Amino acid sequence: MCALQTPARGRAGGFTDWVGPAAACRRRVADAFLDTFSAWGYEYLATPLVEPLETVAAGVGGGRQADLFRFMDADGRLLALVGERTVSVARVVATQLRTRSFPLRLCYSGPVLFNRPPLGGRRRETMQAGCELVGHGGLEADAECLAVAAAALEAAGITGVQIDVGHADFVPSLLAAAHLDADSRSRVARALRHRDLVAVETALEGTEAGAAERALLLAFPTLRGGRELLDSAGARLSEGCRRSLDELARLWDLLDTHGITDRVHLDLGAVRDWDYYTGPTFELFSAELGFPLGSGGRYDRLLASFGLDAPATGFVLHVDRCCDALQRSSGPVAPAPVLRILYARGRAAEAMAVAVELRRRGLRVALDLTPAEESAFEPGVRAAWVDAAGVLSWHWPGHSGSGLDGLVAAIPLLRGGQP
Amino acid sequence: MSGLRLALPAGALFEDACRLLATAGVAEVEPARLDRQLRIVQGDTVVVRVRPTDVPVYVEMGACDAGIVGKDVLWESSRDCYELVDLGFGACRMVLAALEGSPLAAGSWPQPLRAATKYPVSARRFFDRLGVAAELIRLHGSVELAPAMGLADAVVDITATGQTLRANHLVEVAEAGRSTARLIVNQASLKTRGDAVNLLAASLRRAVPTPGPGPEPLSA
Repeated sequence: MCALQTPARGRAGGFTDWVGPAAACRRRVADAFLDTFSAWGYEYLATPLVEPLETVAAGVGGGRQADLFRFMDADGRLLALVGERTVSVARVVATQLRTRSFPLRLCYSGPVLFNRPPLGGRRRETMQAGCELVGHGGLEADAECLAVAAAALEAAGITGVQIDVGHADFVPSLLAAAHLDADSRSRVARALRHRDLVAVETALEGTEAGAAERALLLAFPTLRGGRELLDSAGARLSEGCRRSLDELARLWDLLDTHGITDRVHLDLGAVRDWDYYTGPTFELFSAELGFPLGSGGRYDRLLASFGLDAPATGFVLHVDRCCDALQRSSGPVAPAPVLRILYARGRAAEAMAVAVELRRRGLRVALDLTPAEESAFEPGVRAAWVDAAGVLSWHWPGHSGSGLDGLVAAIPLLRGGQP
Repeated sequence: MSGLRLALPAGALFEDACRLLATAGVAEVEPARLDRQLRIVQGDTVVVRVRPTDVPVYVEMGACDAGIVGKDVLWESSRDCYELVDLGFGACRMVLAALEGSPLAAGSWPQPLRAATKYPVSARRFFDRLGVAAELIRLHGSVELAPAMGLADAVVDITATGQTLRANHLVEVAEAGRSTARLIVNQASLKTRGDAVNLLAASLRRAVPTPGPGPEPLSA
C-alpha cells in the first residue's frame, strides 16, 4: 500500500561523496598507511562503527562528547557513532586479546563521525588509520610509533612532514611546581586547554608563581626546538619537571637511531589532553595544511578502565587531511591509466586471454563488452586491437607496437603514472 | 617581513589594526586601499580584510596563519585557534542592560528573565554563571529597541561608550565581560611557521601602547 518514496538527491550536510582523482587518492593513501603498518608487523583489526555511548565518550574526551552522533537502540541503550577508534581497540585488547603475549601490535582504519554543525568547513565523517602498541611501557615503544607514523606518511608520498613531540606530564608538573594556589592553577590549566595564552598571563598576574616555571608558562609558544631545548628549559626547573624532560631526551636519542630527528621538533608548549595521555605525545604537521595530519601518544590508563592493567601507546593519521595536503602540494594525483582492448567479431576469447595476462602483470585493463570495427581503434589512445586474424596491435601516447610480448615489455613504461 | 597570511576585521577595529601592523613594522597597510581591494600582498606577507566573525574561520581553517579580532567575537565563536596577545585596542564591554525605572534596573530580577541579544553564546554563559534562568531571544540588530517594545526585559549587548544605551533609556545592570582586540593564530601555523609567528607576536606586543583592561570574567 505504501508508495515508493522519492530519494533526496542531496547529501546530508557535512558529508562528502568521493569521486574521481580525490577518491583514488583517498584509497591510495589509506592503502599506503595500512601496507606500512603491516610491514612493521602490526596486525589489522576491524571494530564496529557503533559503540555504547560511554565507551565512545571515554575516547573523545570531555569537550567533544556533545559533538557525537548519539541515538538509542530498541533496548533503550544509548549508543554513539565512533569519534575515534583507539578506545574500541583497547576494548578488544582487554577482552578477546587479553591472553595474547605482549607487546601487541595492532592497526585499524575506518570512518569516524562527529555531529558538528555543517557549513563550518569541517567534515562530519572522516577516515582515520592508526596503530596501537600495547603492553610495553618503555620509550622504545613510543619511538617505534613515531617511526611508523613517519614511514606511513612517507609511503603515501607526503613530503615536508614536521613532527612535534611533547610530554603529557610536563605542563602538569610545571603547574604543580609553580607554587600556585589551587584556583590560579586550575585557571591556568583551563586557559592552556583553550589555547588562550592571554588568559594564562592574566591568571598568572599577581600570583607568586616560581620565577622559572612562570617564565616557561608565559613563553609557551616559543618552547620549541631540538635536543638543546631540553637543557635550556630544564636547567632552572625542579626535579619533578625535569623527569619529563629526561624522558624526552632519551626519546630523542631513540628517534635518532630510527633516523627521523631531521623532521622532529620538541615542543614543550604542546597542549594535549592531560587526563588521557600519560607520557610522550606527538602531532604531525605539513606546511600545506592548517590542521595536524595525525597525532598520538602514550595512554597508560585507558586499558585499566577496561580492567586490564597494561601500558599502551599509539597514533592516528587523518586520511582525508593527508589527501588535502597531497593535493595541495602536487595537484590532483591521477589514478593509474587504463588500457582499453577492442576486438574483431569472433576474437573475444583471444582478447580475454590478453586482458588476463596483462592484468596479471599489474596493468589496468578494460575489455570492450561487444566486438568493434577496426576503424574504432584510433592511434595515440590507450587501446589495443585484436584483429580478425587474432593479431594484437596497440597504441599508447608515445608508444605503439604489435604482439603481446612487446606490450608486456612496455608495461613498466605504460604504468608510468602509477607510484 | 613574515611570509604570513593575516586576517583583519572590517568595522570598528579595522583602522586601529592597520595602524598597529604599520607601527609594529609588520606591513604598511593603507586602510582605504585594503577596504577596497580586500587583499593586499606586500612582499611575502598577505593581508586580507574580512567580517569580524569570519576572522576565526579563516584562521582555524588555515586560510590565514593569524588574525586580529575582538575577544567578544571569540566568545561567540566555537573555532579552535591559539590566542597569543592582548592587543589592548578596541576596548568594549558586554553588559546586561534594562530600561530606566524597570524593576530589573532597580535590582529586582524577574524570573524568568527575557533578554534580547546578538550574542547568544556569551549571554548563555553569563546567565549560567550567575545561576539566572533566562530566556534568550536572538536578534540580528537594534537590540536596544527590544525592551522599549516589550519584546524583552533586558538586553545583553556590547557597549564601548554607553552612548547607545543612554539614548535608548537603558541602564547597565551587570557587566558580563570586557573585550579587547586579540592576536589569534592557526594551530598548525604556530608549529610549522613558529619563528615567523613568534616574531609577529613579539612585534605586535612591543607596539601595543598600553596593557589590556585586565581580567575578562567570561573567558574564565
